[in-house]
Amino acid sequence: MSDSFAAPREVVRITCMVHQRLNPVTVETLRRFGAHTVLTESARCVRQESLPPVFRILGNRMRQQDAPMDIFRTTVEPADATEAVQRLRDTLELDKPGRGSVFVQDIQEYSLLAPPEGRERDHSPEEGILLNDLTLITGIVSQAGGAEALARIALRLGAGVPVLTLGEGTGIRDRLGLLRIAIPPEKELIHLIVPSQDAPGLMRLMIDEGRLDRPGGGFLYQTRLRAAVVDSLVRIGHQEHAASMEQIIAAVDDLKRGTGWRRRFAGMDSVQEGGSKTRRNHREVVFICPEGRSDAFVQAAMNTGAAGATVTKVRCLSFSDVEGGIAARERGVLCIPSSREEGVIEALLREADRDAEYATRIQVLDAPSVFSHQRS
Amino acid sequence: MPSRPAKIHIPLRSALRMLGGYFRVRFLEQVRSISFILLYLLGFQMLVLGSTPANALQLTVGIGMVVMGLMFFLEGLILGLMPLGEQVGVQLPQKAGVMAIALFGLLLGVGATFAEPAIASLRAAGLSVTPWEAPLLYWMLERAPDQLVMAIGGGVGVAVAFGMLRFYLGLPIKPFVYVLIPLMLAVSVFCALDENLVSILGLAWDAGAVTTGAVTVPLVLALGIGISRATGKQDRATAGFGVVMLASSFPVLSVMGLGILLNHQAPRPVDETVFFSPAYRETALRWVGSETQLRDLAVQRGSEAGRSVLFADRPGEDIAQHPGSSSVGRLSLMSVVRAESGHAVRSVVPLTFLLLLVLMLWLRDHPRHGDEFALGIFFAWLGMGLLTSGIRLGLAPLGDEVGRPLPRVFRSVAREEGRLTFQPFDPSLVFSSLGVDGDVAQFFYLQDSDGQPRPARFDAERFDPVALRYEHILKRPPLFGPELTLAGIGLVLLFAFGLGYGSTLAEPALRALGRTVEELTVGTIRRVGVVRAVSLGVGIGLVIGVSRILYDIPMIWLLIPPYAFLILLTFWSDEDFAAIAWDCGGVTTGSITVPLVLAMGLGIGGELEVVDGFGILAMASAYPIISVLLYGFVKQKRQARSLQPAEGESEHE
Repeated sequence: MSDSFAAPREVVRITCMVHQRLNPVTVETLRRFGAHTVLTESARCVRQESLPPVFRILGNRMRQQDAPMDIFRTTVEPADATEAVQRLRDTLELDKPGRGSVFVQDIQEYSLLAPPEGRERDHSPEEGILLNDLTLITGIVSQAGGAEALARIALRLGAGVPVLTLGEGTGIRDRLGLLRIAIPPEKELIHLIVPSQDAPGLMRLMIDEGRLDRPGGGFLYQTRLRAAVVDSLVRIGHQEHAASMEQIIAAVDDLKRGTGWRRRFAGMDSVQEGGSKTRRNHREVVFICPEGRSDAFVQAAMNTGAAGATVTKVRCLSFSDVEGGIAARERGVLCIPSSREEGVIEALLREADRDAEYATRIQVLDAPSVFSHQRS
Repeated sequence: MPSRPAKIHIPLRSALRMLGGYFRVRFLEQVRSISFILLYLLGFQMLVLGSTPANALQLTVGIGMVVMGLMFFLEGLILGLMPLGEQVGVQLPQKAGVMAIALFGLLLGVGATFAEPAIASLRAAGLSVTPWEAPLLYWMLERAPDQLVMAIGGGVGVAVAFGMLRFYLGLPIKPFVYVLIPLMLAVSVFCALDENLVSILGLAWDAGAVTTGAVTVPLVLALGIGISRATGKQDRATAGFGVVMLASSFPVLSVMGLGILLNHQAPRPVDETVFFSPAYRETALRWVGSETQLRDLAVQRGSEAGRSVLFADRPGEDIAQHPGSSSVGRLSLMSVVRAESGHAVRSVVPLTFLLLLVLMLWLRDHPRHGDEFALGIFFAWLGMGLLTSGIRLGLAPLGDEVGRPLPRVFRSVAREEGRLTFQPFDPSLVFSSLGVDGDVAQFFYLQDSDGQPRPARFDAERFDPVALRYEHILKRPPLFGPELTLAGIGLVLLFAFGLGYGSTLAEPALRALGRTVEELTVGTIRRVGVVRAVSLGVGIGLVIGVSRILYDIPMIWLLIPPYAFLILLTFWSDEDFAAIAWDCGGVTTGSITVPLVLAMGLGIGGELEVVDGFGILAMASAYPIISVLLYGFVKQKRQARSLQPAEGESEHE
């Protein structure tokens, strides 16, 4: 079996983040599209809620309002990506703000399972373009409520609708012996889709305002998106105009066929990083394994030079019986310099060979910009 | 296995600083959680009752132990018990079939009941039950407690087995509610129609409420979450809830069932004088057990009428030889700690051992972090021991000091406080006084505790001129004078509400549940929100429960309306919140609430001479379900707002 893991496939990962109420429709859409394995996890998205002014003098009051979300991840052949996104957009009506986002990323996947293929193409997409110059900023912060603070900053900057998930960090902590119980392993992850040209600037602001440049502050990295439908409903509640700002932005995006027109941090991407620890040429490595096995994977990766990993418990929805009956999975995310990629992947693959299960897979993609306080 | 990387050595100073921070955060959290109930009790005692805590040192030590106990226990749950439960839960469906899982559930449920015996608190609530007013209830509590424990254990076992099956098959909770609750109500109505069975209604519903203890709830919850995540039959992250609801419903049925079985041999309730009469002696002895037991009953639970019938034919026996109330022994710190740490071993170790055995021998795995797990179990034991000792030394006596004199607040009649027998009594000490209407009353001077002479009414009927003996009844005046009863009752209900609210805020099982809810919903439902909603419900439930005692409302009238309403609410609610809410009802009555509620219930119940203090706890688990379901409606309505951004947004909320 081990040789099936040896060569990576170029595939596309679809990530769909939708309001929990849309869960059944999403599952049904993905099933009908022919995806055979979908990983889901629970998430929360944060929006601003504007309350009507008191006595018309104090101005609009704001408070945060969160909503339960579900994240679905699956992989398809690159040729099917656009259709998958269009189908999800149309059945879930994601072009209406406030329902959720979907995006695709080009990745390399090591898996015993080929992505699904050969399905009927009966879908005629509706009007509307897919945005394609977007970047996903992922933040991993340790202190409880840390992601909340980042989400607040992102909302204030109008950067998009932040989606928060939970995970467990492993790394330095595991080398402290029993003293590790003094450091909570819980991590919060924040996922934020922003226009690519604004990503460096927004990341800079999040680092500064979220004080991530202090010890134990956190970890931020970017990955590119190939195409996306983005939930732009940053603010709900009291509205004073015929159309909300989000609706206007979405309409102009549509007209301009892109987000290039909203460039806001002129020149920022070339300056910055004066003495900071933002680094380039990294890789996001994701491994998916049966629950309980992640420790071994993280150990293997750390022995070959990874700094640590963040592991999230996910559930696997299996539409065919290829993956066995057990749904509990762990999804670990590592960010490593490209130079160490080979060693880490090799170690992970060796670990994957141990049980050689269909459930195990490893996904790699570029992370062009990584910020972390600690050395990697 | 790849080798573990080298351990990092942390200098002692930094290690201490890290541990200090870790300790401080958790310590302050516990201080916050019990501060409400503590300040509330002290405030009530000092401001309303106008007294001060009797034993400040013991109280302080006790409270300190409660804080430390909560801290260690919760940390133990997080480090040891819950990860173990989850690990077993995730692996069980991989290795075991559906029947094996159900069997394991049965074993776990029965084991949990024996490990955390709720019977002690049930017997405490039934301390004033008499075999003449409620023969069946007396029999179940005093003569057949083993059968009662077995009925409860069996109920919990079947419940956990059903719960595990439910997770394995991915069944929703709502059908269980629609079937179980009407069934429970129907059996209750059946019981309410029988003069003997009606007395066990409160016991049965309370048994359901108290069975699920501080160790069982988190363990079963973690197990359920593990199983439902592994099988993935439900597409919801919050699918692990619902077992606690089952575990608090089945015992209600099994206890009522036991009562129905035992009922045919039970004598009917009779008048106390009939019970103690020689003609009834044979039945009474069969029911009570022995002559000594009968005598003790007459002295401890009987009234003067009963006693005079019993002792009428025995001139050698004298009432005076039996002190009316047993002396309250002072609690010694060491003996309490020793006893409670023994109990803590019993409640933590067997269950952990069972799960560990299943994990290692059957599932062929070992705890994920062995050292962390061992530390967690140690913390859980230490915490449990400290917590229960602290409650016995600090919180419960404080609750008692406030709860017992509470009836003075609403009573408009002076109440007998004790008796003094003077022999010989010199009749020349009796004086006469004239009332405004010309009546002549007799009195004598009695010294109060300060040595001041105070006039005391002389009752000629209590004077035995032959033996020169006078029995004087000490009376305690009502606190607010005779007219203020209504305000007094309001005050008692307010006290009940605050007691319920405050003690539930600190309840460890509930906080473990709240934490789990927050984690599984990634914070869309906050633990603070859940805990507050539940506490509010418990507060309201206690108000209703205390009203039952005050006004002697039949239990059945208190059960049907809330549960009927609950079935409706459950129908409207969605699956997620239904399961969470019904579980909240089961966890409310735990190690902190029960002793405090019992102290209050007994204080009021004893004063009013009602048969038993049952029913309060049952109310304290019905109303939280309502409050959490309502909280869920509000929450979901707000959370769905982004889905309909265009509708009605321009209007204000």
